[in-house]
Amino acid sequence: MTLIHVPKPNLQSAMNPDRPVSGLLKAQIQHLHDAERNLPLRHQTDIYINAIKTEGEAAEYIRQVTAAIHEAHEAAAAKRGRGIAIAAAAEERPVGKGPSGGKKKGKVRRGRKT
Amino acid sequence: MPTGLDSLRHIVVLMMENRSFDHMLGSLKAVDPRIDGVTDQLSNPDTTGAPVKPQPLAEFQGQLDPDPDHHFPAVDLQIFGGDKSPNRVANMQGFVKSYFNQQRDVGHSQKIMYYFAQNQLPVLTTLALEFAVFNRWFASIPGPTICNRAFAHYGTSFGRVDMNPIYVNEPFKNIYDRLINAHPKHTAKLYYYDTTSSTMEVANLLQNQPELFGTYEQFLGDCSNGNLPDYAFIEPNYSDHDSDSGEEVANDQHPDHNIQAGELFIASVYNAIKQNPNLWQSTALLVVYDEHGGIYDHVVPPACTPDQFTASANDTGTGQPFAFDRLGVRVPAILISPWIPKGTVVDRTFDHASIPATITKFFLGDYSPRSPRETSADVFIEPNAQPADATRNLLSLATMRTDCPDFDV
Repeated sequence: MTLIHVPKPNLQSAMNPDRPVSGLLKAQIQHLHDAERNLPLRHQTDIYINAIKTEGEAAEYIRQVTAAIHEAHEAAAAKRGRGIAIAAAAEERPVGKGPSGGKKKGKVRRGRKT
Repeated sequence: MPTGLDSLRHIVVLMMENRSFDHMLGSLKAVDPRIDGVTDQLSNPDTTGAPVKPQPLAEFQGQLDPDPDHHFPAVDLQIFGGDKSPNRVANMQGFVKSYFNQQRDVGHSQKIMYYFAQNQLPVLTTLALEFAVFNRWFASIPGPTICNRAFAHYGTSFGRVDMNPIYVNEPFKNIYDRLINAHPKHTAKLYYYDTTSSTMEVANLLQNQPELFGTYEQFLGDCSNGNLPDYAFIEPNYSDHDSDSGEEVANDQHPDHNIQAGELFIASVYNAIKQNPNLWQSTALLVVYDEHGGIYDHVVPPACTPDQFTASANDTGTGQPFAFDRLGVRVPAILISPWIPKGTVVDRTFDHASIPATITKFFLGDYSPRSPRETSADVFIEPNAQPADATRNLLSLATMRTDCPDFDV
């Protein structure tokens, strides 16, 4: 079995977060900006993307929006979960004292839609 | 006795950025003449008319700045040499002319012909010589990143030839949805490097299905814990940035990012799979580049089955519409598995539509609807191949190799 040595780059010369943002990163920023507009307001950044000029600035915007997308989905999932939990608690009420089974089902569906 | 195909449970695709076959692997022609790399007979004219030959003078960083143009009109010039006549023939003679257009500097424009010597790329060249290297793997479109990567996920770019967001039109589902909604269910994940690098697949997948994603750190954990999904697609780090663990250097190899950082990354993906013996024997890893990035390659892209979409003359920027009936420029592609004979060279034609075509055929069998391009694309793992048929079954060894290299990273 052969062991191949892999040279490491010189970190000081390779690393340049001040490099002007590339066309690829510009496209990624624009895609994330489009996605950001669909997020609830509380998850949106206040970063003006036309002012992003360097790779480091691009990376920071990309990080914030990517995290925000995940957070927004997690928040929505948690809210959906709470709706289901409320509906499940309603299902456990004694027979004869609560609404009909049909109404209970309705609560579950409403919970899932939130 | 189980063969490689019987053992195969996982397919991993690592898609790097913007380098041509000749640029990265062209030097290997001198090592193995079956590999279709550079020769002394090749050249491109510069703007003075002087021929410029490919030379092994490529540098790890600082040479291809500005980023060589690889949008549709520039690639058209690179492939056809500037001929816009109706019956033109591709000749791969416009690379130096195209790069000259960016700086108007004859000397600088010649660097687009430079390629790496074998010893500069110990990871990629070792993998190419040890496993299966594809002589005819082309980008799906003679254009930039986003539309080419779309072919890897959807088998089509839905008519796009540019970098704008691609919003998916039903009925062509992405490969991840096909797998996770199948009966029996399969698993699939798209690993991006970290949250700061994120993904190029924003418009549809990240925005609507973030649960499909994981980070590279999670990929490493999934490999060591034996939790790798059936199908995994890995994206490199697209930017130099700070992280909790320190400074992260871009490792996507996109010009003008550091090539050695990409070599380390490829090696780390390989090592992560190989260091888990159960995973190593049951996984095939494809390393492939999304497009050529405007850098010279000598092989004329072939015609292909037209997609059902047409990009307008306005969208292509060339004055002519494009029916997705020919492929983009050739890129490096290597298939890795301990069941592949050392020194395999594949001459069949592939493009990125071959990725969902292969994954679908291997895990799901018949599936429709799929795009015309994907339906007609060749597959790099043929589940119905005879075990000993090395032309169709690349994982043809009866016994797993024990001589595969290790990388010291």
